[in-house]
Amino acid sequence: MFGYIPLGMAFGVLFQSLGYHWIFAPLAGVVIYAGSAQFMAVGLLAAGVSYAEAFIATLVLNSRHMFYGLSVMGRYPTRGLSRWYLIFGLTDETYSLITARPPQSPGNVHYLVYLTGLNQSYWVIGCALGASLQSFYAFDSRGFEFALVALFLVLLIEQVRTMNQRWLLAVALSTSVLAYLLTPNQFLLVAIGLCLVTLMVFIRTGGDHG
Amino acid sequence: MDNVQLFGFFVVMSIATFITRALPFVALAQVRSHSILDRFGKSLPPMIMVVLVCFGLMSLEIDSVDRGGLSALALFIVITLHAFFRHPLLSILGGTGVYVAGIQGFGL
Repeated sequence: MFGYIPLGMAFGVLFQSLGYHWIFAPLAGVVIYAGSAQFMAVGLLAAGVSYAEAFIATLVLNSRHMFYGLSVMGRYPTRGLSRWYLIFGLTDETYSLITARPPQSPGNVHYLVYLTGLNQSYWVIGCALGASLQSFYAFDSRGFEFALVALFLVLLIEQVRTMNQRWLLAVALSTSVLAYLLTPNQFLLVAIGLCLVTLMVFIRTGGDHG
Repeated sequence: MDNVQLFGFFVVMSIATFITRALPFVALAQVRSHSILDRFGKSLPPMIMVVLVCFGLMSLEIDSVDRGGLSALALFIVITLHAFFRHPLLSILGGTGVYVAGIQGFGL
């Protein structure tokens, strides 16, 4: 089962706080299709940032997806429309579902497209449900933002299961604290940048045999 | 921002998202199994997820001891539920439910 319907609903409810027509919430799910970036978009839109700032912020937030691509590249088809749809739909949830299964032969493209398409459908339905319910009933949505933290935490637990060097998590926690104290406005960029540098040094010095 | 500008905003974010997802496929089309990249692919995602959990916690605007305690309790519930049932939906709903109840029901 997928957490995408309730999470999409949480997004839809939060999105309605901006005051646009509810149809724009599922539209965001169709066009952008990125859970955490859409949550961030609510904050960015509320703050009235420019297109350029939104572009950079989305690049930074979603930069983790580059490394998802690396781990599923061998399973994806090498050409065709399905290849580009699968790349477009490579969200956190889809990535964790795909990598949770043993590697498949490249012939199993239909299954991958089915999985990715089903995930996006759940997400769009969730966005539509949350935003339309909120626009008709206007219920109290305070606290719904915790759904995003819970999603990241669940994904973290799933990824830790297959990780060899778990002390690297302490490194990531330290870089987060450091970035929070030094550059809270560039938190994601600095924290992830420091993680990347540490990992590069570690791998270069030959410490990683996993 | 009007409706057209809002749609433009979505398109901008969509392009940025697609770039991050497509980059390895375009840049590394020839190298299918690069061992150093494999190691990055294994270790970096969980590290980034730690950073994102912290990022999410920052956005909760924890400005009181009560709010901090509630956040810690909700995190604990997510971890416990996931350890026992390993059911993402249950873990997310359980933790969020407790957090929402604390905020709305107890005014934390």
